Amino acid sequence: MKHELLFSGIGGQGIMMLGEILCNVAVEEGFQVTFAPFYGQEKRGGRTMCHVVIADGLESPIISEAELMLVMDEKSLKDFQNLMAPTGTLLVNSSMIDIEPDCQCKEVKKVPFYEIATELGNSKTANMVALGYLLKYMPYIPYEKVSKEVEKAFEAKPKVVPLNVQALKTGYEYK
Amino acid sequence: MGDKVFMQGNVALAESAIRAGCKYFFGYPITPSSEVPEYYARRAEEEGLVFVQGETETAVFNMIAGAAATGNRVMTATSGPGFSLGQEAMSFMAAAGLPAVVVEVMRPGPADGEILAAQGDYFQAVKGGGHGDYNTLVLAPCSVQEMCELIQESFELAEKYRNPVILLSDALLAKMRENVELPGRKEQNCDLSWALTGCAGRKHNVMTTCGDGSAQWEKYNLDLQEKFAKIKANEERWENYQTEDADIILVAYGSMARVAIGAMKLAREAGLKVGLVRPISLWPFPVKAFEGLGDKTFLVTELSAGQMVEDVKLTVPHKENVHFYGRLGGIVPTPKEIFEQIKKLGVK
Repeated sequence: MKHELLFSGIGGQGIMMLGEILCNVAVEEGFQVTFAPFYGQEKRGGRTMCHVVIADGLESPIISEAELMLVMDEKSLKDFQNLMAPTGTLLVNSSMIDIEPDCQCKEVKKVPFYEIATELGNSKTANMVALGYLLKYMPYIPYEKVSKEVEKAFEAKPKVVPLNVQALKTGYEYK
Repeated sequence: MGDKVFMQGNVALAESAIRAGCKYFFGYPITPSSEVPEYYARRAEEEGLVFVQGETETAVFNMIAGAAATGNRVMTATSGPGFSLGQEAMSFMAAAGLPAVVVEVMRPGPADGEILAAQGDYFQAVKGGGHGDYNTLVLAPCSVQEMCELIQESFELAEKYRNPVILLSDALLAKMRENVELPGRKEQNCDLSWALTGCAGRKHNVMTTCGDGSAQWEKYNLDLQEKFAKIKANEERWENYQTEDADIILVAYGSMARVAIGAMKLAREAGLKVGLVRPISLWPFPVKAFEGLGDKTFLVTELSAGQMVEDVKLTVPHKENVHFYGRLGGIVPTPKEIFEQIKKLGVK
Protein backbone atom coordinates (compact mmCIF):
# COMPACT_ATOMS: atom_id res chain seq x y z
CA MET A 1 0.00 0.00 0.00
CA LYS A 2 1.41 3.32 -1.04
CA HIS A 3 -0.15 6.74 -1.70
CA GLU A 4 1.97 9.37 -3.44
CA LEU A 5 0.82 12.98 -3.06
CA LEU A 6 2.16 16.39 -4.06
CA PHE A 7 1.06 19.80 -2.81
CA SER A 8 2.49 23.02 -4.18
CA GLY A 9 1.97 26.74 -3.94
CA ILE A 10 3.59 30.04 -3.02
CA GLY A 11 5.22 30.73 0.34
CA GLY A 12 2.59 32.07 2.74
CA GLN A 13 -0.29 30.04 1.29
CA GLY A 14 0.04 27.45 4.05
CA ILE A 15 1.02 24.47 1.93
CA MET A 16 3.51 23.19 4.51
CA MET A 17 0.97 23.46 7.30
CA LEU A 18 -1.60 21.62 5.22
CA GLY A 19 0.89 18.82 4.59
CA GLU A 20 1.98 18.60 8.20
CA ILE A 21 -1.56 18.38 9.55
CA LEU A 22 -2.37 15.63 7.10
CA CYS A 23 0.83 13.71 7.90
CA ASN A 24 0.28 13.92 11.65
CA VAL A 25 -3.10 12.26 11.26
CA ALA A 26 -1.72 9.63 8.87
CA VAL A 27 0.95 8.75 11.45
CA GLU A 28 -1.72 8.52 14.12
CA GLU A 29 -3.58 6.09 11.85
CA GLY A 30 -0.55 3.81 11.90
CA PHE A 31 0.92 4.56 8.47
CA GLN A 32 4.58 4.94 7.62
CA VAL A 33 4.71 8.54 6.41
CA THR A 34 7.29 10.76 4.79
CA PHE A 35 6.89 14.50 4.43
CA ALA A 36 9.56 15.98 2.17
CA PRO A 37 9.41 19.78 1.92
CA PHE A 38 11.07 21.82 -0.79
CA TYR A 39 11.33 25.56 -0.65
CA GLY A 40 13.52 28.36 -1.87
CA GLN A 41 15.62 30.80 0.11
CA GLU A 42 12.90 33.47 0.19
CA LYS A 43 10.99 34.09 3.39
CA ARG A 44 7.83 35.00 1.48
CA GLY A 45 6.66 34.59 -2.09
CA GLY A 46 8.99 31.73 -3.00
CA ARG A 47 7.95 28.29 -4.09
CA THR A 48 6.79 25.84 -1.42
CA MET A 49 6.12 22.27 -2.37
CA CYS A 50 6.01 18.96 -0.58
CA HIS A 51 6.03 15.32 -1.49
CA VAL A 52 3.97 13.20 0.89
CA VAL A 53 4.11 9.41 0.86
CA ILE A 54 1.68 7.46 3.03
CA ALA A 55 2.56 3.78 3.05
CA ASP A 56 2.87 0.66 5.15
CA GLY A 57 6.66 0.30 4.86
CA LEU A 58 9.89 2.03 3.89
CA GLU A 59 9.43 3.88 0.59
CA SER A 60 11.10 6.59 -1.43
CA PRO A 61 10.20 10.03 -0.04
CA ILE A 62 10.46 11.27 -3.63
CA ILE A 63 7.36 10.37 -5.57
CA SER A 64 7.25 9.01 -9.13
CA GLU A 65 3.63 9.90 -9.90
CA ALA A 66 1.09 11.79 -7.84
CA GLU A 67 -2.24 10.00 -7.38
CA LEU A 68 -3.44 13.24 -5.84
CA MET A 69 -1.97 16.67 -6.55
CA LEU A 70 -2.95 20.10 -5.30
CA VAL A 71 -1.64 23.18 -7.12
CA MET A 72 -2.39 26.58 -5.63
CA ASP A 73 -0.76 28.77 -8.30
CA GLU A 74 -0.04 28.71 -12.02
CA LYS A 75 3.69 28.11 -11.76
CA SER A 76 3.09 25.06 -9.59
CA LEU A 77 0.74 23.65 -12.21
CA LYS A 78 3.24 24.23 -15.01
CA ASP A 79 6.16 22.80 -13.05
CA PHE A 80 4.60 19.68 -11.61
CA GLN A 81 1.75 18.54 -13.86
CA ASN A 82 4.17 16.14 -15.56
CA LEU A 83 4.27 14.22 -12.28
CA MET A 84 0.54 13.37 -12.42
CA ALA A 85 -0.34 9.69 -12.43
CA PRO A 86 -2.59 8.81 -15.43
CA THR A 87 -5.08 7.45 -12.89
CA GLY A 88 -4.72 10.41 -10.56
CA THR A 89 -6.74 13.45 -9.59
CA LEU A 90 -5.49 17.00 -10.03
CA LEU A 91 -6.94 19.73 -7.81
CA VAL A 92 -6.53 23.19 -9.27
CA ASN A 93 -7.00 26.38 -7.28
CA SER A 94 -9.17 28.18 -9.84
CA SER A 95 -8.98 31.41 -7.83
CA MET A 96 -5.42 31.87 -9.03
CA ILE A 97 -5.08 29.61 -12.07
CA ASP A 98 -6.58 30.56 -15.42
CA ILE A 99 -4.61 28.26 -17.72
CA GLU A 100 -5.75 24.76 -18.65
CA PRO A 101 -3.77 21.78 -17.31
CA ASP A 102 -1.81 19.97 -19.98
CA CYS A 103 -1.35 16.49 -18.59
CA GLN A 104 -2.83 13.03 -18.59
CA CYS A 105 -4.85 12.21 -15.52
CA LYS A 106 -8.19 10.71 -14.59
CA GLU A 107 -9.82 13.93 -13.50
CA VAL A 108 -9.17 17.61 -12.99
CA LYS A 109 -11.15 19.45 -10.32
CA LYS A 110 -11.16 23.22 -10.40
CA VAL A 111 -12.11 24.74 -7.07
CA PRO A 112 -11.98 28.44 -6.15
CA PHE A 113 -10.32 27.91 -2.76
CA TYR A 114 -9.71 31.63 -2.18
CA GLU A 115 -13.28 32.73 -3.04
CA ILE A 116 -14.63 30.09 -0.69
CA ALA A 117 -12.27 31.15 2.09
CA THR A 118 -13.05 34.85 1.56
CA GLU A 119 -16.79 34.17 1.81
CA LEU A 120 -16.12 32.39 5.11
CA GLY A 121 -14.42 35.53 6.38
CA ASN A 122 -10.69 35.14 5.84
CA SER A 123 -8.85 34.30 2.62
CA LYS A 124 -5.94 32.96 4.67
CA THR A 125 -7.96 29.83 5.40
CA ALA A 126 -7.86 28.78 1.73
CA ASN A 127 -5.34 26.10 2.68
CA MET A 128 -7.80 24.55 5.11
CA VAL A 129 -10.56 24.64 2.48
CA ALA A 130 -8.14 22.82 0.17
CA LEU A 131 -7.25 20.29 2.87
CA GLY A 132 -10.93 19.56 3.41
CA TYR A 133 -11.46 19.09 -0.30
CA LEU A 134 -8.41 16.78 -0.53
CA LEU A 135 -9.88 14.54 2.16
CA LYS A 136 -12.77 13.61 -0.15
CA TYR A 137 -10.15 11.67 -2.11
CA MET A 138 -8.49 10.13 0.92
CA PRO A 139 -10.91 7.67 2.51
CA TYR A 140 -8.01 6.24 4.55
CA ILE A 141 -7.71 9.51 6.51
CA PRO A 142 -10.62 10.13 8.90
CA TYR A 143 -12.05 13.63 8.54
CA GLU A 144 -12.88 13.93 12.27
CA LYS A 145 -9.26 13.35 13.26
CA VAL A 146 -8.06 15.97 10.79
CA SER A 147 -10.54 18.40 12.27
CA LYS A 148 -9.10 17.76 15.74
CA GLU A 149 -5.58 18.16 14.34
CA VAL A 150 -6.53 21.55 12.86
CA GLU A 151 -7.66 22.65 16.32
CA LYS A 152 -4.32 21.53 17.70
CA ALA A 153 -2.36 23.27 14.97
CA PHE A 154 -3.94 26.62 15.87
CA GLU A 155 -4.06 26.16 19.65
CA ALA A 156 -1.63 29.04 20.12
CA LYS A 157 -4.19 31.33 18.42
CA PRO A 158 -7.53 30.15 19.85
CA LYS A 159 -9.41 32.99 18.14
CA VAL A 160 -8.81 31.57 14.66
CA VAL A 161 -9.60 27.93 15.52
CA PRO A 162 -13.34 28.01 14.68
CA LEU A 163 -12.72 29.73 11.37
CA ASN A 164 -10.13 27.17 10.28
CA VAL A 165 -12.24 24.23 11.40
CA GLN A 166 -15.15 25.74 9.46
CA ALA A 167 -12.93 26.18 6.40
CA LEU A 168 -11.93 22.52 6.57
CA LYS A 169 -15.58 21.48 6.81
CA THR A 170 -16.63 23.73 3.95
CA GLY A 171 -13.93 22.29 1.71
CA TYR A 172 -14.87 18.75 2.69
CA GLU A 173 -18.53 19.34 1.86
CA TYR A 174 -17.99 21.43 -1.28
CA LYS A 175 -19.59 19.82 -4.34
CA MET B 1 12.83 5.23 25.84
CA GLY B 2 11.26 4.08 22.62
CA ASP B 3 9.30 7.29 21.96
CA LYS B 4 7.48 7.00 18.66
CA VAL B 5 7.29 10.37 16.99
CA PHE B 6 6.95 12.00 13.58
CA MET B 7 10.01 14.17 13.45
CA GLN B 8 12.27 16.12 11.15
CA GLY B 9 15.64 14.48 10.46
CA ASN B 10 17.74 17.33 11.87
CA VAL B 11 15.67 17.55 15.05
CA ALA B 12 15.58 13.79 15.66
CA LEU B 13 19.34 13.71 15.15
CA ALA B 14 19.94 16.48 17.69
CA GLU B 15 17.68 14.81 20.26
CA SER B 16 19.45 11.48 19.76
CA ALA B 17 22.84 13.15 20.18
CA ILE B 18 21.68 14.67 23.47
CA ARG B 19 20.49 11.24 24.57
CA ALA B 20 23.90 9.86 23.62
CA GLY B 21 25.41 12.18 26.20
CA CYS B 22 26.79 14.80 23.84
CA LYS B 23 27.64 17.52 26.35
CA TYR B 24 29.11 20.15 24.06
CA PHE B 25 27.90 21.58 20.79
CA PHE B 26 29.76 24.26 18.88
CA GLY B 27 27.89 25.45 15.85
CA TYR B 28 27.46 28.07 13.20
CA PRO B 29 24.13 28.15 11.35
CA ILE B 30 23.99 27.08 7.73
CA THR B 31 21.09 25.69 5.71
CA PRO B 32 20.24 22.80 5.60
CA SER B 33 21.81 21.92 8.96
CA SER B 34 20.59 24.82 11.13
CA GLU B 35 17.84 22.96 12.99
CA VAL B 36 20.49 20.77 14.61
CA PRO B 37 22.21 23.61 16.53
CA GLU B 38 18.87 25.39 16.99
CA TYR B 39 17.29 22.38 18.69
CA TYR B 40 20.41 21.56 20.71
CA ALA B 41 20.65 25.16 21.92
CA ARG B 42 17.01 25.11 23.02
CA ARG B 43 17.50 21.88 24.97
CA ALA B 44 20.92 22.84 26.37
CA GLU B 45 19.55 24.78 29.30
CA GLU B 46 17.14 22.12 30.53
CA GLU B 47 19.75 19.37 30.11
CA GLY B 48 22.71 21.32 31.52
CA LEU B 49 24.64 21.20 28.26
CA VAL B 50 27.01 23.68 26.67
CA PHE B 51 26.12 25.32 23.38
CA VAL B 52 28.28 27.98 21.75
CA GLN B 53 27.63 29.68 18.45
CA GLY B 54 31.09 30.42 17.12
CA GLU B 55 32.08 33.34 14.94
CA THR B 56 32.84 31.09 11.95
CA GLU B 57 33.04 27.40 11.20
CA THR B 58 36.82 27.71 11.38
CA ALA B 59 36.46 28.62 15.03
CA VAL B 60 33.77 26.01 15.64
CA PHE B 61 35.88 23.12 14.37
CA ASN B 62 38.77 24.20 16.56
CA MET B 63 36.40 24.45 19.51
CA ILE B 64 35.25 20.87 19.03
CA ALA B 65 38.89 19.81 18.83
CA GLY B 66 39.51 21.48 22.16
CA ALA B 67 36.50 19.95 23.85
CA ALA B 68 37.22 16.51 22.39
CA ALA B 69 40.70 16.70 23.91
CA THR B 70 39.05 16.70 27.35
CA GLY B 71 37.33 13.39 26.58
CA ASN B 72 33.84 14.87 26.61
CA ARG B 73 31.31 14.02 23.94
CA VAL B 74 31.17 16.92 21.50
CA MET B 75 29.78 17.59 18.07
CA THR B 76 29.03 20.13 15.42
CA ALA B 77 26.69 20.14 12.42
CA THR B 78 27.28 22.02 9.21
CA SER B 79 26.97 21.90 5.44
CA GLY B 80 29.55 21.87 2.64
CA PRO B 81 30.80 25.48 2.81
CA GLY B 82 31.20 25.23 6.59
CA PHE B 83 32.75 21.79 6.40
CA SER B 84 35.37 23.14 4.00
CA LEU B 85 36.32 25.80 6.54
CA GLY B 86 36.75 23.08 9.15
CA GLN B 87 39.26 20.97 7.22
CA GLU B 88 42.38 22.24 8.97
CA ALA B 89 40.90 21.14 12.27
CA MET B 90 39.70 17.82 10.78
CA SER B 91 43.27 17.03 9.78
CA PHE B 92 44.47 18.10 13.23
CA MET B 93 41.87 15.99 15.03
CA ALA B 94 42.72 12.93 12.96
CA ALA B 95 46.42 13.41 13.75
CA ALA B 96 45.83 14.11 17.43
CA GLY B 97 43.38 11.22 17.84
CA LEU B 98 40.42 13.32 18.94
CA PRO B 99 37.00 11.69 19.11
CA ALA B 100 34.73 14.44 17.74
CA VAL B 101 31.52 13.85 15.82
CA VAL B 102 30.78 16.03 12.79
CA VAL B 103 27.45 16.07 11.01
CA GLU B 104 27.75 17.16 7.38
CA VAL B 105 24.41 17.89 5.75
CA MET B 106 25.24 18.00 2.06
CA ARG B 107 23.85 20.61 -0.32
CA PRO B 108 24.86 21.21 -3.94
CA GLY B 109 28.19 22.92 -4.52
CA PRO B 110 30.65 23.93 -5.64
CA ALA B 111 30.86 27.09 -3.52
CA ASP B 112 27.60 28.43 -2.03
CA GLY B 113 25.55 26.57 -4.62
CA GLU B 114 22.01 25.73 -3.59
CA ILE B 115 20.24 24.55 -0.45
CA LEU B 116 18.56 21.36 -1.68
CA ALA B 117 19.86 17.81 -1.49
CA ALA B 118 23.17 16.69 -2.99
CA GLN B 119 25.96 14.19 -2.47
CA GLY B 120 28.84 16.07 -4.03
CA ASP B 121 30.86 16.14 -0.80
CA TYR B 122 31.52 12.38 -0.92
CA PHE B 123 35.15 12.78 -1.96
CA GLN B 124 35.76 15.47 0.64
CA ALA B 125 34.33 13.34 3.45
CA VAL B 126 35.61 9.94 2.36
CA LYS B 127 39.04 10.73 0.95
CA GLY B 128 40.07 13.13 3.71
CA GLY B 129 39.18 16.77 2.98
CA GLY B 130 42.16 18.15 4.85
CA HIS B 131 45.88 17.71 4.35
CA GLY B 132 47.98 14.67 5.09
CA ASP B 133 47.41 10.92 5.20
CA TYR B 134 44.34 10.42 7.31
CA ASN B 135 40.87 8.97 7.22
CA THR B 136 37.70 9.62 9.13
CA LEU B 137 34.92 7.12 9.61
CA VAL B 138 31.98 8.23 7.47
CA LEU B 139 28.47 6.93 8.14
CA ALA B 140 25.55 7.58 5.79
CA PRO B 141 22.02 6.95 7.05
CA CYS B 142 19.09 6.61 4.65
CA SER B 143 16.21 7.31 7.04
CA VAL B 144 15.48 9.47 10.03
CA GLN B 145 15.44 6.30 12.14
CA GLU B 146 18.87 5.22 10.98
CA MET B 147 20.18 8.76 11.45
CA CYS B 148 19.21 8.59 15.15
CA GLU B 149 20.89 5.23 15.63
CA LEU B 150 24.05 6.14 13.72
CA ILE B 151 24.59 9.46 15.50
CA GLN B 152 24.64 7.59 18.81
CA GLU B 153 26.99 4.98 17.38
CA SER B 154 29.21 7.73 15.99
CA PHE B 155 30.18 8.81 19.51
CA GLU B 156 31.07 5.23 20.46
CA LEU B 157 33.14 4.71 17.31
CA ALA B 158 34.92 8.04 17.72
CA GLU B 159 35.98 6.99 21.22
CA LYS B 160 36.76 3.39 20.29
CA TYR B 161 39.30 4.51 17.68
CA ARG B 162 40.06 8.00 18.99
CA ASN B 163 39.27 9.43 15.58
CA PRO B 164 36.76 11.93 14.21
CA VAL B 165 33.56 10.44 12.80
CA ILE B 166 31.49 12.12 10.09
CA LEU B 167 27.79 11.50 9.85
CA LEU B 168 27.03 12.32 6.23
CA SER B 169 23.47 13.53 5.77
CA ASP B 170 21.86 15.55 2.99
CA ALA B 171 19.21 18.23 2.68
CA LEU B 172 16.44 15.75 1.91
CA LEU B 173 17.08 13.52 4.94
CA ALA B 174 17.68 16.56 7.11
CA LYS B 175 14.46 18.40 6.26
CA MET B 176 12.22 15.38 5.83
CA ARG B 177 9.80 14.31 8.51
CA GLU B 178 9.29 10.63 9.08
CA ASN B 179 8.07 8.12 11.65
CA VAL B 180 10.85 7.46 14.12
CA GLU B 181 11.31 5.64 17.39
CA LEU B 182 13.82 7.75 19.28
CA PRO B 183 16.65 5.77 20.85
CA GLY B 184 17.19 5.86 24.61
CA ARG B 185 19.95 7.39 26.73
CA LYS B 186 23.47 6.11 26.29
CA GLU B 187 26.28 6.34 28.84
CA GLN B 188 29.82 7.14 27.86
CA ASN B 189 31.86 4.03 28.62
CA CYS B 190 35.43 4.21 27.36
CA ASP B 191 39.04 4.60 28.44
CA LEU B 192 39.79 8.29 28.91
CA SER B 193 43.25 7.96 30.40
CA TRP B 194 44.64 9.87 27.40
CA ALA B 195 42.37 12.89 27.88
CA LEU B 196 43.49 16.33 29.03
CA THR B 197 41.60 16.60 32.30
CA GLY B 198 44.12 18.36 34.54
CA CYS B 199 47.09 16.33 35.72
CA ALA B 200 46.73 16.53 39.49
CA GLY B 201 48.16 13.32 40.94
CA ARG B 202 49.39 11.92 37.64
CA LYS B 203 51.93 12.50 34.91
CA HIS B 204 50.63 15.05 32.42
CA ASN B 205 49.26 13.82 29.10
CA VAL B 206 50.86 15.20 25.97
CA MET B 207 48.96 15.86 22.77
CA THR B 208 51.07 17.14 19.93
CA THR B 209 50.87 16.87 16.18
CA CYS B 210 54.22 18.45 15.47
CA GLY B 211 56.84 16.02 14.15
CA ASP B 212 60.30 15.66 15.68
CA GLY B 213 62.26 14.68 12.57
CA SER B 214 61.29 12.45 9.66
CA ALA B 215 61.96 9.17 11.40
CA GLN B 216 59.73 10.04 14.34
CA TRP B 217 57.03 11.45 12.07
CA GLU B 218 57.05 8.42 9.80
CA LYS B 219 56.57 6.23 12.87
CA TYR B 220 53.71 8.48 14.02
CA ASN B 221 52.10 8.14 10.59
CA LEU B 222 52.58 4.37 10.50
CA ASP B 223 50.80 4.10 13.85
CA LEU B 224 47.93 6.12 12.41
CA GLN B 225 47.86 3.87 9.35
CA GLU B 226 47.71 0.83 11.61
CA LYS B 227 44.66 2.33 13.28
CA PHE B 228 43.01 3.05 9.92
CA ALA B 229 43.71 -0.55 8.83
CA LYS B 230 41.98 -1.78 11.97
CA ILE B 231 38.96 0.42 11.25
CA LYS B 232 38.87 -0.89 7.67
CA ALA B 233 38.94 -4.48 8.88
CA ASN B 234 36.23 -4.05 11.51
CA GLU B 235 33.80 -1.31 10.61
CA GLU B 236 32.37 -1.93 7.15
CA ARG B 237 28.60 -1.48 7.21
CA TRP B 238 26.10 -2.05 4.46
CA GLU B 239 22.70 -3.49 3.64
CA ASN B 240 21.96 -5.61 0.58
CA TYR B 241 18.44 -5.94 -0.83
CA GLN B 242 17.47 -8.79 -3.14
CA THR B 243 20.97 -9.08 -4.61
CA GLU B 244 21.07 -12.90 -4.79
CA ASP B 245 18.97 -13.41 -7.93
CA ALA B 246 19.53 -9.92 -9.38
CA ASP B 247 20.89 -9.27 -12.86
CA ILE B 248 21.26 -5.56 -12.20
CA ILE B 249 22.36 -4.17 -8.88
CA LEU B 250 21.79 -0.56 -7.92
CA VAL B 251 24.35 1.02 -5.62
CA ALA B 252 23.20 4.05 -3.65
CA TYR B 253 23.57 5.62 -0.21
CA GLY B 254 21.75 8.23 1.87
CA SER B 255 18.50 9.65 0.54
CA MET B 256 19.39 8.39 -2.93
CA ALA B 257 19.19 4.85 -1.53
CA ARG B 258 15.54 5.50 -0.68
CA VAL B 259 14.85 6.47 -4.28
CA ALA B 260 16.73 3.34 -5.37
CA ILE B 261 14.48 1.19 -3.17
CA GLY B 262 11.49 2.69 -4.98
CA ALA B 263 13.12 2.06 -8.37
CA MET B 264 13.94 -1.52 -7.38
CA LYS B 265 10.29 -2.14 -6.50
CA LEU B 266 9.12 -0.71 -9.83
CA ALA B 267 11.61 -2.94 -11.67
CA ARG B 268 10.60 -6.05 -9.75
CA GLU B 269 6.93 -5.34 -10.49
CA ALA B 270 7.88 -5.21 -14.18
CA GLY B 271 9.64 -8.57 -13.89
CA LEU B 272 13.21 -7.26 -13.93
CA LYS B 273 15.58 -8.81 -11.42
CA VAL B 274 17.04 -5.78 -9.72
CA GLY B 275 18.75 -5.57 -6.33
CA LEU B 276 20.45 -2.89 -4.26
CA VAL B 277 23.71 -2.56 -2.39
CA ARG B 278 23.40 0.24 0.14
CA PRO B 279 26.71 1.31 1.68
CA ILE B 280 26.17 2.59 5.22
CA SER B 281 29.84 3.17 6.02
CA LEU B 282 31.33 5.16 3.14
CA TRP B 283 34.74 5.00 4.78
CA PRO B 284 35.56 2.27 5.20
CA PHE B 285 33.86 1.47 1.91
CA PRO B 286 31.93 -1.80 2.31
CA VAL B 287 33.99 -4.02 0.03
CA LYS B 288 32.45 -7.14 1.58
CA ALA B 289 29.00 -6.11 0.36
CA PHE B 290 30.14 -6.93 -3.18
CA GLU B 291 31.49 -10.40 -2.43
CA GLY B 292 29.92 -12.97 -4.72
CA LEU B 293 28.40 -10.28 -6.96
CA GLY B 294 31.34 -10.10 -9.39
CA ASP B 295 29.43 -11.00 -12.55
CA LYS B 296 26.53 -8.61 -12.07
CA THR B 297 25.83 -5.35 -13.85
CA PHE B 298 25.91 -2.35 -11.53
CA LEU B 299 24.14 0.97 -11.77
CA VAL B 300 25.53 3.48 -9.29
CA THR B 301 23.16 6.39 -8.66
CA GLU B 302 24.26 9.52 -6.83
CA LEU B 303 23.32 13.16 -6.41
CA SER B 304 26.73 14.04 -7.83
CA ALA B 305 28.68 13.95 -11.07
CA GLY B 306 30.05 10.54 -10.07
CA GLN B 307 32.06 10.11 -6.89
CA MET B 308 31.19 6.90 -5.03
CA VAL B 309 31.12 5.19 -8.43
CA GLU B 310 34.93 5.33 -8.34
CA ASP B 311 35.00 3.24 -5.17
CA VAL B 312 32.59 0.75 -6.70
CA LYS B 313 34.89 0.42 -9.72
CA LEU B 314 37.85 -0.15 -7.41
CA THR B 315 35.88 -2.88 -5.64
CA VAL B 316 34.29 -5.05 -8.34
CA PRO B 317 36.33 -7.25 -10.69
CA HIS B 318 34.82 -5.93 -13.96
CA LYS B 319 34.68 -2.16 -13.90
CA GLU B 320 33.23 -2.13 -17.44
CA ASN B 321 30.05 -3.50 -15.83
CA VAL B 322 29.69 -0.43 -13.62
CA HIS B 323 27.33 2.25 -14.95
CA PHE B 324 26.49 5.62 -13.48
CA TYR B 325 23.49 7.92 -13.30
CA GLY B 326 23.59 11.16 -11.35
CA ARG B 327 21.67 14.41 -10.96
CA LEU B 328 23.14 17.74 -9.90
CA GLY B 329 22.14 21.11 -8.57
CA GLY B 330 19.70 19.83 -5.94
CA ILE B 331 17.54 17.71 -8.21
CA VAL B 332 16.65 14.33 -6.77
CA PRO B 333 15.52 11.88 -9.46
CA THR B 334 12.24 10.02 -9.04
CA PRO B 335 12.16 6.23 -8.65
CA LYS B 336 10.60 6.10 -12.13
CA GLU B 337 13.54 8.04 -13.58
CA ILE B 338 15.97 5.45 -12.15
CA PHE B 339 13.74 2.65 -13.44
CA GLU B 340 14.05 4.15 -16.95
CA GLN B 341 17.83 4.06 -16.58
CA ILE B 342 17.66 0.41 -15.48
CA LYS B 343 15.68 -0.42 -18.62
CA LYS B 344 18.28 1.32 -20.78
CA LEU B 345 20.94 -1.11 -19.58
CA GLY B 346 19.08 -3.72 -21.59
CA VAL B 347 19.84 -6.64 -19.32
CA LYS B 348 17.18 -9.37 -19.47
